[in-house]
Amino acid sequence: MEIEVLKNKVQGLNIVLGALQAATGELCKRCIGLEGAKTKVGKLAKKLGMDLDAASICCEKTKADLQARIDSLSKAAEELQVAEECECQKTAGNCKLGEACFVNAAVDLMKLVQ
Amino acid sequence: MAKARCGRILGEDIYIEEGDTTTLYFINQLRGYQVVLAALKALGQDICHDGCSLPSTVNKVIKRLGKLKNDLEASDVAGEKKKSLLSKIDSFWADANRLPQDTSQTCRKSAGECVIGSGCFATGALNLINQITEPEAPKI
Repeated sequence: MEIEVLKNKVQGLNIVLGALQAATGELCKRCIGLEGAKTKVGKLAKKLGMDLDAASICCEKTKADLQARIDSLSKAAEELQVAEECECQKTAGNCKLGEACFVNAAVDLMKLVQ
Repeated sequence: MAKARCGRILGEDIYIEEGDTTTLYFINQLRGYQVVLAALKALGQDICHDGCSLPSTVNKVIKRLGKLKNDLEASDVAGEKKKSLLSKIDSFWADANRLPQDTSQTCRKSAGECVIGSGCFATGALNLINQITEPEAPKI
């Protein structure tokens, strides 16, 4: 993977995690939507780390900086506070914003990286 | 009338009476801005800080929060609940005002620094509010 794409994905994941962290202070903390998103972003951070390992980057400092950012994002993903027992908050009758979902939409921000 | 939990904003669980769609509208909007502002705050740590899209989006959020406040003030939401929600709007408004607002800087795409493609994280973050489709805005 090219370094620019890696950088863009790291940038995107940082924003997604910002939004997900806000969601943990919300109804979403007890929602399977957030539980699933936590798994997704954790895997994504792990994959970014593997892509960085496989990338041919001449500058050691650039590589180390990116690795540090990915490690920090991976830690942030792990630390997302999700309740032990989750259920969809729409099904539970608590989330009444319509058919959509903040958490899924936040994860979809990654699709902006082309 | 039975009360139902319908949100958690700034660490406070919010309950409304079943069928109170006016109060629910304002609660849902605040739930949305809580997430949008967090995403914009994360963007502020990135190259977007020195561009024009983030400030433009922040200005939109500030304006919309101002309108939400006016609408809430003019609404028939019950006294104590209205007071509590107004203080949350004020808190979000203050958060938004701490984000970059100078739109005179060059878009990072035009500057050749943002190479994510045709999309824009700032616009995408603001669009998270579009996830809210119910209930309709009350007629004020």
